[in-house]
Amino acid sequence: MIATIPSATLLGVEGTPVAVEVHVSKGLPGFTVVGLPDASCRESRDRVRAALLSSDLPWLLKRVTVNLAPSSVRKGGAGLDLPIAVGLLVASEDLAAEAVAGCGFIGELGLDGSIRRVPGIVPLVAALSTRVVVVPPDCFAEASVVGRHKVRVAGSLSELLAALRGDAPWPDPPVAAPAPPEAASAPDLADVRGQAVGRTAVEVAAAGGHHLLLSGPPGAGKTMLARRLPGLLPPLEGDDALTATRIHSAAAVALPPGGLVVRPPFRAPHHGASAVALIGGGTGYMRPGEISLSHCGVLFMDEMCEFPATVLDALRQPIEEGVVRVCRARATVSFPARFLLVGATNPCPCGESGSAGLCRCALAARQRYNRRLSGPLLDRFDLRVVVSRPDPASVMGGPPGEATAPVAARVAAARELARERGVRCNAELPAARLDALAPLTAGAARVLEHRLRAGLLSARGVHRIRRVARTIADLGGAPGPVDEENVCLALSLRAELAPVELAA
Amino acid sequence: MTGPAVPAEGWAAALAGLPGMGPARLRAVLDAWPPEEAWAHVAAGTACSRPGVALACRPDPAGAAAQWRAAARRASVGDTWDAHRRAGVTVSLPGGPGFPDELRVDPEPPAILFSRGDPAALDGRRVAIVGTRRCTRYGREVAYELGRDLASSGVRVVSGLALGVDGAAHRGALASGGAPPVAIVGSGLDVVYPPAHRALWEQVADAGLVLSEAPLGARPEPWRFPVRNRVIAALAEVVIVVESREKGGSRHTVEAAMARDRMVMAVPGSVRSPVSSYTNGLLADGCHPVRDALDVLVALGLSTAPSVRAAEERPAPGPEEAPVLEALGWEAATLDDLCARSGRSPGQVSVGLARLQVGGWVAERAGWWERVT
Repeated sequence: MIATIPSATLLGVEGTPVAVEVHVSKGLPGFTVVGLPDASCRESRDRVRAALLSSDLPWLLKRVTVNLAPSSVRKGGAGLDLPIAVGLLVASEDLAAEAVAGCGFIGELGLDGSIRRVPGIVPLVAALSTRVVVVPPDCFAEASVVGRHKVRVAGSLSELLAALRGDAPWPDPPVAAPAPPEAASAPDLADVRGQAVGRTAVEVAAAGGHHLLLSGPPGAGKTMLARRLPGLLPPLEGDDALTATRIHSAAAVALPPGGLVVRPPFRAPHHGASAVALIGGGTGYMRPGEISLSHCGVLFMDEMCEFPATVLDALRQPIEEGVVRVCRARATVSFPARFLLVGATNPCPCGESGSAGLCRCALAARQRYNRRLSGPLLDRFDLRVVVSRPDPASVMGGPPGEATAPVAARVAAARELARERGVRCNAELPAARLDALAPLTAGAARVLEHRLRAGLLSARGVHRIRRVARTIADLGGAPGPVDEENVCLALSLRAELAPVELAA
Repeated sequence: MTGPAVPAEGWAAALAGLPGMGPARLRAVLDAWPPEEAWAHVAAGTACSRPGVALACRPDPAGAAAQWRAAARRASVGDTWDAHRRAGVTVSLPGGPGFPDELRVDPEPPAILFSRGDPAALDGRRVAIVGTRRCTRYGREVAYELGRDLASSGVRVVSGLALGVDGAAHRGALASGGAPPVAIVGSGLDVVYPPAHRALWEQVADAGLVLSEAPLGARPEPWRFPVRNRVIAALAEVVIVVESREKGGSRHTVEAAMARDRMVMAVPGSVRSPVSSYTNGLLADGCHPVRDALDVLVALGLSTAPSVRAAEERPAPGPEEAPVLEALGWEAATLDDLCARSGRSPGQVSVGLARLQVGGWVAERAGWWERVT
């Protein structure tokens, strides 16, 4: 007797449909899983056996062969436990084949017969073309995000069997906990006192999608500013939300109560992170890295100069392309990775350089520190801002800064203007269209020309300045030509942070 | 093998190249024997047989003697001498030609001097300009202007070719095309330190004189710099400290100058600037302040007409820019500081800074703005 149960396995952030074929025949009793299962998948046999026995179901003393088709694709994870068990029940005629028709199954089995969650429910469910999918109870919200299926839940094998046989109704999905009020979770920009330049930089970064590098001594408020950036970004819509959800689900990162990721994600990997942790990949199965987890959100790299140079330079290609292709001998996987990069760094190892004479670092140490950020990487930061410690008066008693809400409204309006130009944000404005989309007033052109003549700016630098100036003008509610103040501010917000130290 | 062609200077140069051979030890060795005989004692390991040498080699005379013997067996005096001659390095011993009188009568005289350039560069009034390597733009500019104006008044600028103040003073002296500059360095004359100053080093050697107590190949070991500083103090009539921290190396130069009754002058700095803490302290202790080269020329007793300051050629800051320039003052500040001080928005301040920069009033480095004189 043979049974075929639809399920799926995960490769990167995409699900691949898998047909679980179970064949039961006479012969020497045994249980074989074929079709490129990995170790956790091969161990299914023991989990399925124990789960069946714990659920008072018989374990056949027959020859059982399980094939995971297509056989050429590697299967990983324990999510195929449930379809194997169901297939076994159908093949041994404990369950009518009609009862499971049009049903896909995903879930890991406990030895007591309980059904447990697995990572990547969203892409796995999306890969299934059946009308009904059965998932563990706590995956209900995740599975419902896809929206194409009737989602059923079952907490244990016996519960599932009863529902499939029609002996009992399907168990109710768990009620989602109410979402916590947003204000409690997101830090507000009003907490930042003083710091006029830092606040401006964060606003421009959010509005134009410009990568931002904050440099300043310890305690200047770099991290504080960066953490308030996601709050300024508009909520994710449509495909972006679904893609972000799929990535988070595949990486087994906790999803918000509603199942769908709607707030732009904020990821802040520690500087001990390896290149694979950041970019994605791995040996067992391809896990999305931090840059993909921050897709449509903010990747914050605190103490950027402490990251190994090789790790930092691996960011260059994804920054340009918005996707990262991870190639391994067995598979090549593309992960979406369109993120807003926010770096924070000290100007030197002791953190005090800049304010004249305070730095105690040797020249060589300072140069070594600054070399960590390669020229090409530094060039990708449209905004490079020096923040200094706020003066004590504004920290102690000054008025609170402008709150997140009005700034976010300006950001949303500026992004709307960018969308009307046919790009997601101004950072993506093509250089060829800058003359049409960001025309310069005479004063603005004069400033740029002086910089060019003085050798302080490259031709590519001019394009970047013009994009930032466009964003600044948009934020000011002036969609017309870019004026002198916009350009001057854009220039001020793009300081040369690691100049070649000319001796004497 | 070494032939009889090697003169006394060659043997002394080889002795100076031994490990741990500072001026005091070399003086003790050369006081004990003539150079060639001294080398024989060193090679035999009996250098510390004389009490004077043993005293100079405390705390471990036997160890030093053994180290020297090992090094002497590896070294070839003839090759060392040839290398110095090929490199155009003049070697002078006390009493010989090219050895300045000020150093001969010094309480801690060098036992040997290596030089490149024109020995006549020393003939004239000499002023040392010293200071920290990590100076501010202010310190760099003042050192440059002092070097320039003193050299054009015929005063030799003596300094150490280090980063920061020293290099700026030499650049100024070279730019004036006036009196030749004199540099005293801590490493061998073929070991350019700091490497960034290779071009400056060559220019000073071409236009003036570069002196060292170390033979060719000597590394810039940390102990050599305080030792070098005493030579700077000994060669100068006036020592000017432009910028220095409380614990900076300029302290050695100043102490050496005071021990030799040389006049010490200091450039006043901001009381908030850590690199002016030592110089301001010197002023508080009664040193003469240096405002410009004229103060130094007066101290030297050189009668000269008051220097005429060049007329201001830059366009006066407009009404938009003036408050920004005022907020900047004379210390480096970030855009944030300027916004807070002037009460203007980052955009307005940026416009002011951009116009001031075009006018040559301000300069920016790594996000910090400074006023330019």
